[in-house]
Amino acid sequence: MRRALTTCFMAMGLLGVASLAWGQALQPLPPPPAQKPAEVELGKYLFFDPRLSGDGGVSCESCHDPAKGWGDGQALSTGYPGSEYFRNAQTLLNAAYYRRNYWDGRMAGSDLPTLVRDHLTEAHFMQVDGRLFVERLKQVPEYEEMFKRAFGGEPAFGRTLNAISAFVKTLASRNAPIDRHLKGDGVALSAEAREGLGLFQGKAGCAQCHNGPLLSDQKFHALGVPENPDVFANPLRHLTFRRFFRTLGAPNAENYREDPGLYGVTKEKGGWGKFRTPSLREVSRTAPYMHNGVLATLEDVVAFYDRGGGQHRNKSPLLKPLGLSLTEKRALVEFLKSLAGDPVIVERPELPDYKPRQLGKN
Amino acid sequence: MRIMRLFALALGALLLVGGLGAGGALGEGPRFPSLGPLPPVPVPADNPMSAAKVELGKLLFWDARLSGDVSSPCVVCHDPKQGWGTGTAISRGYPGTEHWRNSQTVLNAAYYAKLFWAGEVTSLESQADAAAGGNVAGNGDAMMMEERLRQVPEYVKRFKEVFGVERPTNGTAWMAIAAFERTLVSKPEHVPFDRYARGDQSALSTEAKRGLALFQGKAGCAQCHNGPLVSDDSYHNVGVPTNPIFEHSPLHQITLRYQHVIRGVPEKLYRSADRDLGLYYTTKQEADKGKFRTPSLRELKYTAPYMHNGVFNTLEEVIEFYNRGGGDDPNKSPLLKPLGLSDREKKELLAFLLSLSSDQPLIIEPPELPDYAAMK
Repeated sequence: MRRALTTCFMAMGLLGVASLAWGQALQPLPPPPAQKPAEVELGKYLFFDPRLSGDGGVSCESCHDPAKGWGDGQALSTGYPGSEYFRNAQTLLNAAYYRRNYWDGRMAGSDLPTLVRDHLTEAHFMQVDGRLFVERLKQVPEYEEMFKRAFGGEPAFGRTLNAISAFVKTLASRNAPIDRHLKGDGVALSAEAREGLGLFQGKAGCAQCHNGPLLSDQKFHALGVPENPDVFANPLRHLTFRRFFRTLGAPNAENYREDPGLYGVTKEKGGWGKFRTPSLREVSRTAPYMHNGVLATLEDVVAFYDRGGGQHRNKSPLLKPLGLSLTEKRALVEFLKSLAGDPVIVERPELPDYKPRQLGKN
Repeated sequence: MRIMRLFALALGALLLVGGLGAGGALGEGPRFPSLGPLPPVPVPADNPMSAAKVELGKLLFWDARLSGDVSSPCVVCHDPKQGWGTGTAISRGYPGTEHWRNSQTVLNAAYYAKLFWAGEVTSLESQADAAAGGNVAGNGDAMMMEERLRQVPEYVKRFKEVFGVERPTNGTAWMAIAAFERTLVSKPEHVPFDRYARGDQSALSTEAKRGLALFQGKAGCAQCHNGPLVSDDSYHNVGVPTNPIFEHSPLHQITLRYQHVIRGVPEKLYRSADRDLGLYYTTKQEADKGKFRTPSLRELKYTAPYMHNGVFNTLEEVIEFYNRGGGDDPNKSPLLKPLGLSDREKKELLAFLLSLSSDQPLIIEPPELPDYAAMK
């Protein structure tokens, strides 16, 4: 409690804002917990390796491309061949900081390996049988060596998930202007960005939900984001959508003509159309925006909120028309750009090949 | 009822063997169900045939949407132009994998009591399900495949007409495919041996007739290859050599180990796995290691290569193998002994084997598949 208060006062002092109306103060992102280098190194190879998918054609990188802000740059993610996904691929940068993962929060952030598992085995992502990819990895001598180094044993299902998780945990923002600013560097933000910060926490009301070190309250809100019509007009997306909600046990999924969001997970009416507040860190690298990618640019996003969001029966009462001037909108976008740290670049490693083994020595 | 039918079959068998003049070669009388034309195809009571169902099954047989990444419909491993198999020693695997067994022909599969090389499933319906979902075959996710079918208006209409369902289901899809497969059978009028068995003496050459006698006599083939299907539908270890591809092909090695994992063998056995153990995976009985279900010999002309792992490319090789008394295996069937066949006898046997195939291969051209459409 005392620490929270101190942090709060520090933030007020640093930011020079009179009060913090909402939630947690903005804070520098704490460094990610240290990972074992051998696990991270192995996880990096596995991240790029399509042999972790059913047909050997899809890797984590396919939808989380380092060159595209660790997303795929598309409004709606691609999905496994023969299906097309119905939500936007989120960036992996800072993903390990969430308490809940996926747009509908269906997975617990405390268990990243299970989130990785979901990606590997789900039919709309990589659709691999967990027993099959383990045998594939055992067919690669370099992997046998790397698993031994990282875990002291042979390739195994859980170890694979743990290694990829260790790698993902290293994908964190570093040295973002906002963090330098929060730590007291008076020249880290331009005057315009500083004005944007003021609006972010004041008139524009962004910080009502986008707060704390992640710039996310990690809660669920309905904003009335327009539906992406392709989800229902494109047969491949619509069938993937229906199958997904059937797997969740959501009733009458064939009749849905909008994304029910949190409702699919909780089956509580109040959750309809709600999605988990995404972090705004690195946001200038992760267009397009929203759970269905309908907003192409940060300017579009600011304009959307300036209108008070969209139409929805569950729309959050926090959203109201903002009456921002053109200058204010520009300042806000400038501030949003200050949330990007040094680029997190990871080169795709050269993947080791399958080699024959001595038959009968398994 | 069943007893009556068996009796009728047995009586028919006696008559037939007598009629073929082969009984004498075996002494007192037939020790096994007699060869002869196939009876009408058996149809399960809960999946009656209809023209519309067969037509729907044909579409689905070709439809890649009944697989994981829409690459692997039934027909890619059961190609009419390859004798309804693949024509390769080992079947095609799902992309990213290789298979581990020979793809068996669909022709006359409707007559088996159990399907796959080690009899893992009990009907064409369950075979279609297992193949579409198997991770090295179709790798289809059940609900994804079902939703794909529901996205095709033509299928919605046809499933409703055929099964009375509001929307397509996987279960009915497998029923339609099975109904289609029940039409893929040898027609007696097209098979020389069947014409002979029905009394046309000119249907078989003298050479083939001698081969028939050897088949039921000296060569002992009919000990297992008997009845109208020319299979006892039972399991035997004949000591088929391993396929050397498993010694050097990484993808085949992966699948071999994978099969040991998914079939739940003890870990010790997984660690030493170097061959296909056949029926053992189902029963976990030591005595069943290396046993496979006797395949039908009908339509052999179109279904090379032979054996569960396709190690023999030609029927000549198969005959040589049995002439040697089969292969080496501690569990080898006592029915196998060196035969001492002369070169002429081998040729006669071959002539008879070829007479079990239709004069022309049964080819069906690919149908035009209906498209997806957005739902209202």
